[in-house]
Amino acid sequence: MRIGALFLGLFRLLVYTFLLAPLVIVVLASLNAGNFLTFPPQGLSLRWFWTFLENDVFIDAIVYSSILAAGATAVSLVIGTMAALYFVRHAKREAEIVRIGVLLPLILPEILTAIALLFFFYEIGIGTEYKIALFTGHVLMTLPFVFLNVTTSLQGRDDSIELAARTLGASRYTAFRRITLPLIAPGMATGGVFAFIISFDTFGISFILKGSGSAPLPIQLYDYLRFNFTPEAAAVSTVSIILTLVLVTLADLLFSRNSKA
Amino acid sequence: MTEVSLRSLVKRYGKTEALKGISLNVRHGEFVSLLGPSGCGKSTTLKCIAGFEETSDGQILFDDRDISRKLPEDRDIGMVFQSYALFPHMTVAQNLAFGLEMRRLQKREITERVGRAMEMVQLTPYAERYPKALSGGQQQRVALARALVIEPKILLLDEPLANLDAKLRDEMRGFIRDLQKRVGITTIYVTHDQGEAMTMSDRVVVMFDGEIAQAAAPEDVYDKPASERVARFVGNANILELPVRTNDEAGVELGLPGGLSLTIQRPVPAANGTLGVMARPEQIALTDPAAGHLRGRISKRYFSGGHVEYHVETDLGPLVVLAPTSQSAKEGESVGLDFDASRLWPLPGRTGSAESRA
Repeated sequence: MRIGALFLGLFRLLVYTFLLAPLVIVVLASLNAGNFLTFPPQGLSLRWFWTFLENDVFIDAIVYSSILAAGATAVSLVIGTMAALYFVRHAKREAEIVRIGVLLPLILPEILTAIALLFFFYEIGIGTEYKIALFTGHVLMTLPFVFLNVTTSLQGRDDSIELAARTLGASRYTAFRRITLPLIAPGMATGGVFAFIISFDTFGISFILKGSGSAPLPIQLYDYLRFNFTPEAAAVSTVSIILTLVLVTLADLLFSRNSKA
Repeated sequence: MTEVSLRSLVKRYGKTEALKGISLNVRHGEFVSLLGPSGCGKSTTLKCIAGFEETSDGQILFDDRDISRKLPEDRDIGMVFQSYALFPHMTVAQNLAFGLEMRRLQKREITERVGRAMEMVQLTPYAERYPKALSGGQQQRVALARALVIEPKILLLDEPLANLDAKLRDEMRGFIRDLQKRVGITTIYVTHDQGEAMTMSDRVVVMFDGEIAQAAAPEDVYDKPASERVARFVGNANILELPVRTNDEAGVELGLPGGLSLTIQRPVPAANGTLGVMARPEQIALTDPAAGHLRGRISKRYFSGGHVEYHVETDLGPLVVLAPTSQSAKEGESVGLDFDASRLWPLPGRTGSAESRA
């Protein structure tokens, strides 16, 4: 019994070490005072953070990635929520097709989705112009996360509550806004956070579809690391880790209070 | 106070007809139950009245105004769902207030009416609770109050007691019935439970296969079923097919084995050859083997507290008899059966085999 508990504890420790060690190393590496990206760091300093803050390329990339992620998340939230509503409430024989269709970008290797989109957009004559291909790719990548979370928050819900609201005098729209929306809001929030992070982080899609002009952060980092190997890259990574943590914590605070239902 | 009329209501799903022309008038303040097995169209009828389903043909009138093309929110109905359908993210008070908010009432009036409604269903101490913190019976009462607080024209109930345990169900029957009479609201109640329909309703509408088989007072549906199918669905029925000896203005004389006869003192038109008659289990009494209309042997005996149910093998097939516990017989015993001829009910349109089943 006690040995079992000990093993379980040890196993947990190993799992968390495996998951968190890279993050810790990146953060420590970003505090390196030396000139090269090495571990353990040679002295502690915040100098690479200042370098990063003065580097327009990275600041632009972070801003660009944030806007891209926000836009993709917004569109995914709308389409994903509608798809989830349809899937749970109305889909009959086609339900499985709808589900697999939406989840396909999650199931297929990212690179396949990227290449398929590239072919498609060249075929229709747009190519990688205007960032439409890139944006579409990001929406496709993030859609499954919204869909899955909203579906979960809808399943097990009583279908008749919206009808009950109608009999009480609420229009279709009011019934959705006052009854269904508050109930799926936590699912939408979780899905939205996932979507944002996935979009912020995704590499394959961005790499293939980015076209010319400004690039998302992962691409910019990759470009940078090909020619420079300084702790500035670690500093950039640290900043994006912090951004992610802040986002997740905010969403959690906002919606765990709200999910009495 | 509202009168509801259904006029030749038809509902088709593709090629199947779920409702084949339902016509029914529900009077002011009347409590009408739609009773039938699943798939008989009772729920579809209710959905059409509520506006959740569009009717394919026919009309639904509230006080002579055709509402069959109106949206549910414009029909002014109160509805209680089988699942209660309470809003899980709102407190009891907020649930009750919802319908009043939709009617854009003043805050003060809303508070006042919600307060009164909660008193009516004895839930005042639970105003700030969320539905999931309430028991099934309490949720049921919230659902009732929420439907009634808007003072709708009619109240619709869709199997509201199906999810409660037996004891609570009996309590809620009385509660709903009393409340309905007190409020005086026209009520349509859907159920597949004949006991529920009989104890609560002013009138029971028995439905089979998308059609009304009989619409009558509970006593009449029970004692004077319109068909064998109704007789069997509403309670236990012994159905005997007996040869007609004489049939005139005075009544029908039916032959029994052993040269005995039974006389129904009521003319039954078109009764020639044989006539199917129904006797409820409590309308047959156990007697001495030598006495009574019919002889038999008890094959099964079920004690159920208030009375005993006997399954009796007779020359006319197996019959079910419900007797008071004071009158006791053992399995295997020979008995005589005495029919209450005044309550035998003829089923002229009877179909099926001559053998009677319980």
